[in-house]
Amino acid sequence: MGFLMLKKNKRFWQRVALQSHYDAVIIGGGLHGLATAYFLARQHGMTNVAVVEKEYIGFGGAGRNTAIVRANQRTPENIPLYREALELWPVLTEELDFNLMFNNCGNLNLMHSEAAMNAARMNVATAQFHGVESHLIDARQCKELVPALNISEDITFPIIGAMYHPPGGILRHDAVVWGLAKSASRLGVHIHQHTETTSIGVENHKIVSVDTNRGKIYTPRVLLAAGGYSAAISYAMLGIKLPISVLTIQAMVTQPLKPILDHVVSSGAYHAYANQTLKGEIATGAHMDPWPNYTTHTTAYYIKHQAEALAELLPCLRGVKFMRHWAGLADMTPDMAPILDGNDLIEGYYMDCGWGYFGFKSCAATGKYMAQFMASGQCSDILKPFALRRFAQHRLMGETAALVNYSPDN
Amino acid sequence: MSLIIRCPICGKRSAYEFRYGGEDKGPRPDEDSLTPESWCDYVHMNQCVAGIQKEWWCHRDGCGLWFTIHRDTINNLEVQHPEAQS
Repeated sequence: MGFLMLKKNKRFWQRVALQSHYDAVIIGGGLHGLATAYFLARQHGMTNVAVVEKEYIGFGGAGRNTAIVRANQRTPENIPLYREALELWPVLTEELDFNLMFNNCGNLNLMHSEAAMNAARMNVATAQFHGVESHLIDARQCKELVPALNISEDITFPIIGAMYHPPGGILRHDAVVWGLAKSASRLGVHIHQHTETTSIGVENHKIVSVDTNRGKIYTPRVLLAAGGYSAAISYAMLGIKLPISVLTIQAMVTQPLKPILDHVVSSGAYHAYANQTLKGEIATGAHMDPWPNYTTHTTAYYIKHQAEALAELLPCLRGVKFMRHWAGLADMTPDMAPILDGNDLIEGYYMDCGWGYFGFKSCAATGKYMAQFMASGQCSDILKPFALRRFAQHRLMGETAALVNYSPDN
Repeated sequence: MSLIIRCPICGKRSAYEFRYGGEDKGPRPDEDSLTPESWCDYVHMNQCVAGIQKEWWCHRDGCGLWFTIHRDTINNLEVQHPEAQS
């Protein structure tokens, strides 16, 4: 009988009926929502939790990012969170009993001017101060690490050096979704796919319920973790405006090749990054539309841009064909740092959004601390700098050395 | 990303000639009664409507004019008369 049951339930997570009451409802079945649900159940014994997802889990940014992880952020507030996330991948691989295919091949962030090298010096110093391995290397050392790289002077932006971050790399994003969902489900978390949140009930400044297309749920806690759709949900359902602009961001992969690139290579000047997946494809991004939209459309304009950038940086890729091209949404904040908050404007209302394009690399650590916040009601020190009120207090973080030109804020 | 915007002076042009100027938030708040919250609301906060919004554009690579249009953020098309549509 047990054997038959096992054969019938091939899914990693259970399909269950929607209950009328949960201790917490998480809006969004992406990485942040699933990670929070997992840690709520595993570390805080809070298992009467629902994850409600309008599409299927991993539909949004969780399945559209280019799987890069790193911890060489710029500010002292951000680095500890990303460092812990990076350290969690091997731990989670064991804990979830799921191969997350973590390949810590290292990241090379190319610099094309002396000014960029100076900015990188500060990044490297901050990372080292916080115990994150990061070095500044020159063009010849870049070539030694990545022989395919073009370090000649006759390209548009000649390479002067790079910020080298050995512990970063790539991680299979779908595996993280499935691993977290499987373990959360086994611990008792209910994952409701194709369940759209239609309104959030508030009485006397307290969360009381969540209405969905499948019925009403009574709950004292709600976590908004809907990625690119968070700001629209926040304003439409609670009237809370967020300092977010939602932009479509594109990525693509080439046909599979034999191993030629064993580091993540990125360049601000070319506005391109590339890494070789374990399947052999060169995964590369990322163009952002210069105006907000929810289309997730791809464009020929960007294929041309990317081909030009790659042909200069990695000339051996000339003639290689792009195979797939897709887009997702990035919810950008003015300081490129997320909004992690709770119990402030409305009791029981928690937010984990505004990640822009950093949501993948941070999800495990953030889920852990958001779970602790939701279970205890107490915000841990590591999350405190990311409160929504920082914008009114003019305490924005300097996460980028220079404002990027695709932001509507410049 | 295809988007054609109608500039009041130059007519229909590719959106890549323009610079997006943010959601229309009404007039700048009065300085006398300004609080950190109201200034933050004006400067940073957005409605992020998934649908039709009124927004500012500047014809950066053209005549330089600042003007507003209505645009549907879901299909990325300029809408001429959103009030008349509903």
